[in-house]
Amino acid sequence: MSFGEFLLVVNYFVLGYFLLINGVYALLYVISFFEIADYTRREVFSGFSELFASSYAPPVSVIVPAYNEEATIAESVRSLLSLRYPLHEVVVVNDGSSDGTLEVLGKSFDLWESDRPVRMQLETAPIRGVYASSDERLVVVDKENGGKADALNAGICAAGYPLVCCVDADIILEEDALLRAARPAIEYSDVAAVGGIVRVANGCEVDSGRVVEVRTPREVLPTLQVVEYLRAFLAGRTGWSRLNALLIISGAFGIFRRSDLISAGGYSDDTVGEDMELVTRMHRTLREGRRKYRVVFVPDPVAWTEVPSTLRVLRRQRDRWHRGLIDTLIRHRRMLFNPRYGTVGLLAMPYYFLFELLGPVVELLGYAAFIVGLLLGVLNVPFTLAFFAVAVGLGSLLSVAAVFMEEMRLRRYPRWTDFLKLVLYGVLENFGYRQLNTLWRVAAIVSYLRRNTDWGSMERRGFGPGEPGKGR
Amino acid sequence: MESTGFVWPAVLVIAGLNVLMMGMTVVLRMVRSVGGRRRQALLKEADALLEEVLAGESVPEGLNALATRDPDVLSEAMIRHLSLLRGAQRERLVELAAGLRLVDYYVGEISARSRWRRARAAENLGYLGGPEVVGPLSGLLSDGDETVRAVAARALARIGTPEAARILVRSLGDPSDLTRLRVAENLERLGPLAVEPLIERLRSGEERASAMAARILGNLRAREAAPALLQAARDGEGVDLRAQAVLALGRIGDPEYVPTLLAAARDQEWPVRAQAANALRMIGDVSAIPQLERMVSDREWWVRVNAARALASLSPAGEKALVRVLEGEDRFARDRAAAALESRGVTERIVRDLTRSDERGREARRVVRAMVAAGATRRLRRLLDDLPGDGRRELESMLRTGEEG
Repeated sequence: MSFGEFLLVVNYFVLGYFLLINGVYALLYVISFFEIADYTRREVFSGFSELFASSYAPPVSVIVPAYNEEATIAESVRSLLSLRYPLHEVVVVNDGSSDGTLEVLGKSFDLWESDRPVRMQLETAPIRGVYASSDERLVVVDKENGGKADALNAGICAAGYPLVCCVDADIILEEDALLRAARPAIEYSDVAAVGGIVRVANGCEVDSGRVVEVRTPREVLPTLQVVEYLRAFLAGRTGWSRLNALLIISGAFGIFRRSDLISAGGYSDDTVGEDMELVTRMHRTLREGRRKYRVVFVPDPVAWTEVPSTLRVLRRQRDRWHRGLIDTLIRHRRMLFNPRYGTVGLLAMPYYFLFELLGPVVELLGYAAFIVGLLLGVLNVPFTLAFFAVAVGLGSLLSVAAVFMEEMRLRRYPRWTDFLKLVLYGVLENFGYRQLNTLWRVAAIVSYLRRNTDWGSMERRGFGPGEPGKGR
Repeated sequence: MESTGFVWPAVLVIAGLNVLMMGMTVVLRMVRSVGGRRRQALLKEADALLEEVLAGESVPEGLNALATRDPDVLSEAMIRHLSLLRGAQRERLVELAAGLRLVDYYVGEISARSRWRRARAAENLGYLGGPEVVGPLSGLLSDGDETVRAVAARALARIGTPEAARILVRSLGDPSDLTRLRVAENLERLGPLAVEPLIERLRSGEERASAMAARILGNLRAREAAPALLQAARDGEGVDLRAQAVLALGRIGDPEYVPTLLAAARDQEWPVRAQAANALRMIGDVSAIPQLERMVSDREWWVRVNAARALASLSPAGEKALVRVLEGEDRFARDRAAAALESRGVTERIVRDLTRSDERGREARRVVRAMVAAGATRRLRRLLDDLPGDGRRELESMLRTGEEG
C-alpha cells in the first residue's frame, strides 16, 4: 500500500467514524428531545409547591467541601441554609485550608468545637474537629487536607440524613434547586443518584448568593461555554439518563442516597475525575449487587457556576476532565461491552471510550490526514472542503438544536438579544473553539500517558484553587 | 475520494437543516411570545366576565362563548377565583362551572387518548366538580400513566367526600412509589375522613399498604387507630409495618402505649428499635429510661443516636441516665451520651452549676468529671471562655486533672 493509499484509507476511516458519531449524537438528541418534552409537561401537574410541605420528603444533608474559601464561604453557607426544603442541614468540610476559612465560619455562625462523634464509614484524612453552631442545621468538620474527594467523604460520614447533596463551595443554587433535585429520590425508592443542570453564571446578576437576573456573558469564551453546557446537559445527560446509563453527575451539584454512596465506597481520592468515577462505580456496585436502581438527570434544578474566562484556566480544566475520563474508563474497563452491566456496559462505556476518549484523537488525525493529503495531492480539494463544511454544519446543527431544546421548555434567557446570541454562538463555536478543545483533549491523553507510571505518587492537592470553573 | 458527487448535496442538506433549525428556534420563541400574550388577554377577559357574575349580574353571553372556545383558559380563571373565595360566592362559581357544562366537558376528557388531557381533566374536576365526579375520577386511579394517577389522587382529596377517601385508601397498594406517595399526602390532607378506611387498610395485612396506612394514621394523630396500631407494632409481619406502627403510636403519644413500645425496643430488627426510641422520646414517659439507657449501647448506630436523644429530652432523670452511660465502659455509648448532652444544652447548664455547693453543684461536678474521663472535653474547653472567675478555675482544674489522669 502506497502512502497515498494509506492516507485515503485514513480519510475513509475518519469519514466513517464521523458518520457514526453523529448518528449516535442524533439518537441521543431525539431521546433527549422527547424526554425533556415529557418532563416539562409532567411538571405542570407535579404539585411541586405541595412537596415543600410534605412530611414524606426525606431530610437532606448538603455537603460543601471548602479549601481556602474565606472570601465567599459565609455567603455560600447562608445561601445554602436558606434553600427551600422541608428539612435539611449543611455540612461544611474545611479541607485543611491555609487561609481563614474556619475562622470566618466560626465568626459568622457562632461555631463551637463539639464532641459530636462522626461515624467513619469511609476512609478519610484525620478529622481535627467537629464544630456545631447555634443554627442546629449547620455542622462544620475541620480536617487535614486530603483533596476534594476526601473532604466529600468526610462530609458524607458526618451527614445525619439519608440523602446527601454534594455541592461546590462556589456554586449558586436556585432557591428550589434542592427540592427539585431531590424529588426523584423522594418519589421513587429505586433512584440512587440525581444530577441537576449546571449553568453558566458569568454575566448574570447575583445578589446575596442568588442569581437574580439571567443574562449571557459579555466575554466570548464563557458564552461559548454556555452553548457547550446546554449541549452537554440537555442533549447528552438527558438522553443517557433515559437509558439509565448516565455516567457523570456533576461534582458541582449532585444528590445521592447516602447508603448507596457508602456501599459503593464513597469518592475515590486518587483520581482527578472523582465525580464520573463515583457514578460509574455506583453503577458497577449496584449492578453487581443485582439491585433495581436508577441514576437520573433532571433538567430544571439549576446550579450556577462561574466558568473559566481565560484560555489558560479553561485548558487546565479540560485537561483535568479528560484525564479523569481516561482514568475512570481504565479503572472500570471490565464493564466495557460487558452485558452484565446492561446499558452502562453495552452503550455508555463504549460511547465514552470510542467517542469521548478517542474522538479528539480521530478528529486530530482527520485534520492531519486532510492537510497531508492535500499537500501530497492525494485528496480532492472540493471533497475536502465539502467534508469540512459538513462537519462544521453538523456541529452547528447540534449546538443550535440544544438552544432549541432550551427554548422549547426551559427558557432561562428571557431577553431576545441573549437568545439570538446563543443561536449565533452555536454556529461560531465550530470555528476554532471546538478545534482548540480537541487539541487540549489530545494533550490530556499524552499528559495522562506520561504520568501513568507514577500515578500512585500523584501529589494530593486542594481542589482547584484559582480555578473558578467546576461545571463538569 | 475522487467521487464527490454525494458530498455537495450533503453540504446543502446540512446547510438547509441549520437554517431550518435556526428558523424553528426563532419561530418557536416568537410563537411562545405571541401565544403567551394571547393567553394573558383571554385570562383577563375571563376574569372580567367572572367578576360580573360574582357582582350578582346575570351570566354574560361572552362566558358561554369562552367556555366553548377556550374551556381550559376559563377553567384556569375560575380555579384562581375559587381558591380565593368562600361560602356563597364559591358555590355560585361551582354551579356556574356545571351550568357552562365545563364539568361535563372534563368528565368527557377523562377518557381522552392524550394522557395530558386526562391529567388536565382530573386536575380541573378536583376544583370544579363535586361528589358526582368521584366515580369518574376513581377510574383514573388505575390509569396507565402515573402522573394521571397522581393528579386524580389530588383531585379526589380536594373533593373530600368519604367515598373519595375510601377510594384513595384502596390505591395505597399501588405498585408505583409516586402514586403511593401522592395518595398518602392527599389522605393526610383529608384528615379525619380518611381515618376509618385507613384503619381497615392497616388491618388488611398487605405490608406495603399497611405500613403506609400506619404512617398516615400517625401523622394524623388518630387515637382511634391505636388498637390496630398496637397490634401491628406487636404482630406486624414486615419490618417497615412494625416500625411505622411504633412511630405512629409515639406520635399519638399516649403513655398507655409504653409497654408495647418497650417490647418493640427489643425487636430483632434495628429499624423497629430505632423508631421505638423515637416514639418513647415523643411520649416522654420516664418509665422508659432503663430501656433507653440500654439502647444507647445498641449495636446499631441509629438506635444509639435515637436512644441518646430520647434520654436527653427526658430531663432530669434522662440526663442522669446519660451521665451513667458516660461513666460506663462502652466507648461508643459514651461518645453518643456526651453528644446528646451537648446538643440539648445540658453541658452548658451543668458548667454554670460547677461552683454551687449544693446537690446541683455536686451533680454538675460528677457530670463534668465523667465527660472529662470520657474524653468529651471540646465543648467544655469552649465554655471556659464564658465562665466567671471561680467557675473557670474549677473547670480548668478538672480538665487539667483529666489530662494528667
